Amino acid sequence: MNPRTRLWLVATGGAGLAALLVAACLRLPDFGGDRHPYGDRAVRASLERHVANTVASVNFDQRAFDTLGELTILFAAVLGCMVLLRQTRDEHRAPPEPADVALPVRRYALLVLPVALLTGLYVVAHGQLSPGGGFQGGVVAATALHLLYLGADYRALERVRPIGPYEAGDALATSAYLVTGVAGLIGGSAFLANTLLPYGMFNTLASGGTVPLLNAAVGMEVACAVVVLLAGFLDQAVEIVEEGEDGERDDDGHDHEEPGK
Amino acid sequence: MNGWILTVTAVLGAGVGATLWGVATGPLRRRVVAQNLSTALACPALLLLAQGYERPAYVDLALVLALLGPVGTLVFARLLAGELAGDPPRAGALTWSAAALGAGVVLVLCVVEGPSRALVKLLVVGALLVGGNLLASRALSGGMTGARRG
Amino acid sequence: MAEAVIVVALLLVAVSATAAVAVRDPVRQSLVLAVLGVVLAVLFTVLQAPDVGLSQLAVGSALTPLLLLLTVRKVRRRGRRDEEGGP
Repeated sequence: MNPRTRLWLVATGGAGLAALLVAACLRLPDFGGDRHPYGDRAVRASLERHVANTVASVNFDQRAFDTLGELTILFAAVLGCMVLLRQTRDEHRAPPEPADVALPVRRYALLVLPVALLTGLYVVAHGQLSPGGGFQGGVVAATALHLLYLGADYRALERVRPIGPYEAGDALATSAYLVTGVAGLIGGSAFLANTLLPYGMFNTLASGGTVPLLNAAVGMEVACAVVVLLAGFLDQAVEIVEEGEDGERDDDGHDHEEPGK
Repeated sequence: MNGWILTVTAVLGAGVGATLWGVATGPLRRRVVAQNLSTALACPALLLLAQGYERPAYVDLALVLALLGPVGTLVFARLLAGELAGDPPRAGALTWSAAALGAGVVLVLCVVEGPSRALVKLLVVGALLVGGNLLASRALSGGMTGARRG
Repeated sequence: MAEAVIVVALLLVAVSATAAVAVRDPVRQSLVLAVLGVVLAVLFTVLQAPDVGLSQLAVGSALTPLLLLLTVRKVRRRGRRDEEGGP
């Protein structure tokens, strides 16, 4: 295909898409209007299943199959990154020198790390009650672990973060989501149907049937995936060096020039 | 529109708008300070929004920002240490005023809230916000490189 | 009048997103991107979508800058080596 045809193709496709979008926008309900047909149904379904946070009910009950798709996308994306960032044959590991970290930063990191981990768990556990859920809490918990890199150095992080278990945890959590879905198929009515467990008391941690279970599975998957992903990036940036390259000083004392503005 | 939301509009328009200007222009040392100030200002704004909309659950957003905002600034401080060492940022007055704003907002909200579990959460957010941002600002200016590793 | 805060948040997002594109150096871009994340989270909250806002805060405030800066560091290191060892 020559560039001219390609340009025409893009222009035609773009014009068609634009026309469709404009047509759709003209028929949109008014901003801030009081008629929400989908919202009313979603809220009713969510209250029937004793889920206080309707967004969690949509994500993990009414549209749980979509969330499975998103979970799989994250899994595949992290898998792809790990393949790209693996240590190739012309690279070797040079252990980074210990970093100089100021004492206040170190104290702050060690103090905030447990608080952040706890907050991550809190956000996951309260997914069906208040804003938050597996994804948000998982990212917070995974970020919390990396306070060790900021407060100490990469070797300290590596000591508490053997990468194998996290990879296994990632895969296990993804299969836990699937297994919950299949359980709905066998014991209840349909794949991922929320008919298996009692709905519990409204606005408590154990309410909502399978919603908290799926939330927990997503939380574990996301936390493990982010840890594995960051491990790949940190390995490449701090530890893995190509042949003929100097080892990295983790302190970043080297003097690169001011980037061209 | 109540007073809380009006305050948020002012904080966002003047404060966060100014940090946006700071982060988009000028030398690197100004930009990192502006990034730190943006989280220091947005967190009180989120707390005020939770109060203004009467949604206590929205405080979770402020909690997460108070936790992760300074962590983000520490990431910049750590990985840009080389670039910042020759030209350290100085923004003592600005940082302290942002911290004072955060502390003031938390204090007012605590008085409105009265003793309860929500009060404890507010205090945790306030401590994380003020402590984290002051520390992140010091880490940026490199004033702590004298204190060595343990 | 109640929409004033929405308008302000929308304007901040529009300006910071434009700045994130206009700034060319990746390091400075990551700083603008961090601010954009915070402003976006405020916009989502103002529009009563705290779940999305929380996702944006979790990802945008520490994780994205870390990934970007680590990548820049690796690429610069390789660039320096090519300059030194190259013809």
